[in-house]
Amino acid sequence: MAGSSSVPPVHPLIAVRLTRRQVLRGMVIAGAVPPLSAVLAACGGEDEGDGGTPSTPPEEIVRGGVLKIATPYAVSTLDPIKSVAAGDIEVLGQIYSRLTRRGPDGKEILPGLAEGWESSPDGLTWTFTLREAAFSDGSTITADDVVFSYLRLRDQEDSAYGGAFQVIGDIVALDPKNVQFTLKGPAAPFLGSTEQFNAGIVPKAVVGSMGDEGFAKAPVTSGGFGVQEWRPNERLILTANTNYWREGLPNLDGVEVIEVLRAPTRVSMLEAGEADVARDVPWAQVEQFKTREDMIVPLDPSSVIYVILLNHQDPVLSNIDVRKAMAMALDRDGITQAVTFGNAVTANSLIPNTVDFYDPEATPLPYDPEQAKALIESAGATGAEIEFLTTQIDDPATVLVQDQLKAIGLNVTINQVDVGGWWDSVVGANYGAAVTWWYNEVPDPDPAVRWALCGECGNSSFFTFYDNPEIDRLTEEALHETDPAGREELYHEIQRIALEDVAQIPMWYQPYANVYRSWVHDLKMNPAIQWNLDEAWMNP
Amino acid sequence: MRKTRLVLQRLWQMVPVLLAISVVAFLLAQAIPGDPVRLIVGPRASQEVIDTVRDRYGLDEPVFLQYFVYMGNLFQGDWGRSIAFRVPVLELITSRLTPTLCLLGGGLVLSTLVALVLAIVAARRQDGLIDQAIRLFATIGLGMPVFWLGLVLSMLFAVRLGWLPASGFGDTPVDNLRHLLLPWVTITVVMAPILVRNLRATLIERTHADFVLAERSKGMPEGAIFLRHVLPNSLLSNLSLLGVVAVYILGITVVIEPIFAIPGVGQLFLNSIIARDYFVIQGLTLVFALLTMVATLAVDVLTLAVDPRVG
Repeated sequence: MAGSSSVPPVHPLIAVRLTRRQVLRGMVIAGAVPPLSAVLAACGGEDEGDGGTPSTPPEEIVRGGVLKIATPYAVSTLDPIKSVAAGDIEVLGQIYSRLTRRGPDGKEILPGLAEGWESSPDGLTWTFTLREAAFSDGSTITADDVVFSYLRLRDQEDSAYGGAFQVIGDIVALDPKNVQFTLKGPAAPFLGSTEQFNAGIVPKAVVGSMGDEGFAKAPVTSGGFGVQEWRPNERLILTANTNYWREGLPNLDGVEVIEVLRAPTRVSMLEAGEADVARDVPWAQVEQFKTREDMIVPLDPSSVIYVILLNHQDPVLSNIDVRKAMAMALDRDGITQAVTFGNAVTANSLIPNTVDFYDPEATPLPYDPEQAKALIESAGATGAEIEFLTTQIDDPATVLVQDQLKAIGLNVTINQVDVGGWWDSVVGANYGAAVTWWYNEVPDPDPAVRWALCGECGNSSFFTFYDNPEIDRLTEEALHETDPAGREELYHEIQRIALEDVAQIPMWYQPYANVYRSWVHDLKMNPAIQWNLDEAWMNP
Repeated sequence: MRKTRLVLQRLWQMVPVLLAISVVAFLLAQAIPGDPVRLIVGPRASQEVIDTVRDRYGLDEPVFLQYFVYMGNLFQGDWGRSIAFRVPVLELITSRLTPTLCLLGGGLVLSTLVALVLAIVAARRQDGLIDQAIRLFATIGLGMPVFWLGLVLSMLFAVRLGWLPASGFGDTPVDNLRHLLLPWVTITVVMAPILVRNLRATLIERTHADFVLAERSKGMPEGAIFLRHVLPNSLLSNLSLLGVVAVYILGITVVIEPIFAIPGVGQLFLNSIIARDYFVIQGLTLVFALLTMVATLAVDVLTLAVDPRVG
């Protein structure tokens, strides 16, 4: 992820200044403007050794205890490359270390299993130097393991999210401590991708002897935790990895990730002390917990963005005037406030506000029901029917949207299906519109844009079948642009065009609705759904 | 001898029924729109990956071919693999069976005991205040949604009072008992009324039956008549109802287990349907069907054993 380590994105001047600093440090030798985050890591100095310091002074930290997390998201595999589902992303990052890791803001790139790296002036050759580190079984992590892990990530046909790694041409172990990557072309997101949840380093020998299937159930890990037992669809029991490379961590003895589908049950468990952390607590209850002293409501920023998908193949919605009218008919501030009890902010762009190069200045069409009504009338669409797909019949957002669209003369019907049916209809273009959400697994905007706005990138713009060749072109250009300022410009342009075309309607950006018991400390979830469980501690 | 043959016959009849159910379940599961693979690997996975995984599970083959492959494997003890959790279905199901059987068994016993006591008291005090109260309880219990009741009980006894755990199954028998108490009470409040209403009505009816009148005219004391004639007679005719209730409780596990986060097959069933985990749905349908048939058969066998009029 070249560039931007904060929102708002890096100003060109800052980038230039950092370039100079980076040169001074002599850490990353890059011809193009270097990845800012790497620079920050290099400048971080004091936390290079142990890979970062927790926010609490060490003498106050209470060690031990098993942290219990109640989550609705299922763990489906413990093999890092096999899934890109939320429940797996959340866990895989905790049990496998990557070459790099992210700072507390989820953006800054810090040394991970690699204690440092260099890139050639053309940005095509990257050499990572491994630190002294071991797997949970005590065996040393070597360059061979890194090569093995990246090859299966890139090449194995059931690698679920290998797209970002196709840019890698050659991966060679120079010696047991040094790995060299040769890229097929310049790729701005490359360094950041080495931190991605699925780029965890696995032991070559163990995967080889156990086979993929065995390894996916009882793996040898490289992260803060090892797997004691996995009971599918019930719980994952993790224990502290005593061989973990971050010295003195984790603070906890272990973690239990308990799958609890129903929200009221997760809340009961939290209240009864059977869970220390509950994921996805309903907003109404989040409000109640905010007033309680025995609960912590961190509201960590996520990359979750709520949008209204519009099927551009729908005869009514293919008309841009209708889409514009819909966007103007909605009191998005009001809906956001009502649905999330004021915990979310109204979205102004069609990509998450936590990804790099998000444009805080992007402006969607204003709320103007009068003009919206006039647009619908002039488009001859008064009384037209639009089918909204939803997984929950009383979904408050969909009901509010229905009501406000009715006011401008559109007739919204609500079609309720379950999650499986929802995806079937959406992928098959068999829907009109849908209030839904998505998230970006990494801070880099490339996967976000490919997923949501690019018509030719494999998902037909989140199956809205919106296809603007200009965006397709800009997406490719931005991927290969290594100058952060240039990248920023390209991504801002993409966001502007998508809003102008009303590709979708942005709704809101919401934080994680996680609630902790007050005895949980230093626990954060970054926007890429990664906990810092190794740093967390408890004093119940 | 005749009775043994009857039981064997019933056992044999289970085979075609199970086969029929397996066909229907297989077709129904596949008929629901939704792609399990997209749900499992995540919607952001590329189409190639989704196709690869589909291919691995044989989901690209025609449904009938899939069925025959499945059945062929089943007869060799291979129940297929869970698509969602990538582990053998049989392993997944057997690891979940104990909590559900405990929930079912305990719920049935508790419901029956409570119903027995309430029905007897109500029948003995027909139209009295206690009878009215019991009938009111029965009516309310019948109309109470299980998920609502479960939540309320959990909020009261687990969250507010902290007497019992709100979730899970526990590791030791004592622990299991503590975890199952609230679910059992939930089941009892909903199930006992069915038994109470029927048993009470039968008891009252039998109290006025001719054979009771005959005993009464012989000068037998009222208490003895009730214990020796009215009660056994009424229980016999309610025995078949017990089978129905058992099957009903089995169905309720799908609702109760998620409320109390009990890691049983009921919860697994719900999750597998949401995830379109075909082979787990299929396996569980067969297990539920088998349990249903066993419950019904057990009641029939019991009736055969104790009722001299049958057989």
